[in-house]
Amino acid sequence: MRALLAVEWFKLWRQRRTYYALGALLAIEAMVMGSAYLQGAEIIDLALAGLRDTFYFEGNLLNGNLVTYFLLNSLWFHVPLILIIIVSGLLTTEYKDNTIQTVFMQPVGRWQYILSKYVVGIGFTLLIVTSLAISSFLFAYLLFGKGDLIVYLNGLVFYEQESAFWRLVGAFVAGAGITVFYSVVSLTLAVWVRESVTTWILSLLFLILANVLMKVDFNSELVHQLFFPKLNDTWQYFFISDIPYPRIAANLAVLAVYSIAAMGLGVYRFQKKELG
Amino acid sequence: MGIIISCSQVGKSFGTTQAVRGIDLTCAAGEIVGILGANGAGKTTLFKMILGLLRPDTGSIQLVAEGSKKIGGIIEKPALYGYLSARDNLKVFAKMQGSATQPSHLENCLQAVGLPLDRTDAVRHFSMGMKQRLGIAIALLNDPKCLVLDEPFSGLDPVGIQSLKNLIQSLARKQNLAILISSHIVTLLAETSDTIHVMREGRIMFSGAPSTLLERFTTTYQICGPQLRETDVWKEYPASFHGTCATVTIPHGEISALLQKLVAANIAITSCTPQLDMNQLFHTSV
Repeated sequence: MRALLAVEWFKLWRQRRTYYALGALLAIEAMVMGSAYLQGAEIIDLALAGLRDTFYFEGNLLNGNLVTYFLLNSLWFHVPLILIIIVSGLLTTEYKDNTIQTVFMQPVGRWQYILSKYVVGIGFTLLIVTSLAISSFLFAYLLFGKGDLIVYLNGLVFYEQESAFWRLVGAFVAGAGITVFYSVVSLTLAVWVRESVTTWILSLLFLILANVLMKVDFNSELVHQLFFPKLNDTWQYFFISDIPYPRIAANLAVLAVYSIAAMGLGVYRFQKKELG
Repeated sequence: MGIIISCSQVGKSFGTTQAVRGIDLTCAAGEIVGILGANGAGKTTLFKMILGLLRPDTGSIQLVAEGSKKIGGIIEKPALYGYLSARDNLKVFAKMQGSATQPSHLENCLQAVGLPLDRTDAVRHFSMGMKQRLGIAIALLNDPKCLVLDEPFSGLDPVGIQSLKNLIQSLARKQNLAILISSHIVTLLAETSDTIHVMREGRIMFSGAPSTLLERFTTTYQICGPQLRETDVWKEYPASFHGTCATVTIPHGEISALLQKLVAANIAITSCTPQLDMNQLFHTSV
């Protein structure tokens, strides 16, 4: 199993698409920061026109924390979108190039093989989210400096610099859990579909539906606690004044169960199906 | 010679289509068994079952060999990681099956199939012949006792074909590998194999030595020579001429007499090539 993990990791980093994905994420970061640099101050001045006379804000409101918060929003859609392509590609490219047949003409266990792809997919997802977090903080603080964070969640909320940083870190951690779920689902779809473009379409459909359903009020606390689209915005809980840690932990635990179930389904299906 | 591959009444269907029906065949150590058939005859499906990629619906396949890897093979085209070099491809496949990955071992594997050691570029730039060789090197990792090669000559130039034929024969004769090989090119298979099975619609329609196959299904011969037309011998035979060659349709038993008559008439013969009746071979052989 360790050898299979090493091989999968090695192959992942020898493919151009991996570097295109990293380039795309850097481009998203650059665009968000560029937009914030060019227009952010005007938008904030407009939004806070009435409040500046009443409240004192420490530092520049268009600061690294706010820009990092903007970047966090890409965790909703853009990052899973790119990761879906890379992670499902771990398997679909093997089908496309028929290397899967060459692999299973060697003495390689099926479940070990597919499980190694899931593990590498999850590892890559976590690496990307971590890289996104580090680069966001680094570039945002370098370019925009530190300061209080202002966010809009059922009204404007302000957090001091120190508190803002840790809330953003927590949000990235929660976002990583959600992103891992989408990566796992895309790989499970690849097990079924085999073909890359169809896998992407189905994975994107899943992502879009999850984002749409996230905004629907189902009038049931149980559904809100257990239905996966409602867990998508768990990272936003870190921007509630009193962070609801038990709720965040419960949501991430449910997402972990979903991820393990999707992975189990994929392993079972891969074990059963023929490769010819 | 011990039997390495043994298929008994092997069958496989896809939906309502029966791709393979009740196949019995064996392949012993050091033997090259050829499977001849038109496209869609069931050769690849049979090979995929032998290689464990598909499960037979009926019958059984036994591989009598020891070691972690009993069988190696190539299906259709060699499927390689195009973005990796030959050495990295070998390393990846060796590592995933727990085989040795030391540079010296990998170099030996490359040399064994006649691949150059100085090529470090991605294998997507390789010729088909080189890819076939690398595919065989990967198939031979971990010392399997049998090798299954599906259409290994397709896409190769004449030099590549000859070179691959030599490699396959060397693997059987020197390393005592049991080799199953499929093709739809009769002459290539006849030259390479010890035994030939002809498949049609999932069944084996003929089994025997290549010479028997050639005898049974050859109805036409192409005879070439510079002064071939300058004799009356041809009046007795249904022949057509094109350039310095004649195509004559006669029973297998009469070709020897024809050649003797031509020699007696002082006609120099540069070649005599048997041409199999493909229609009879692939569509009516029983």
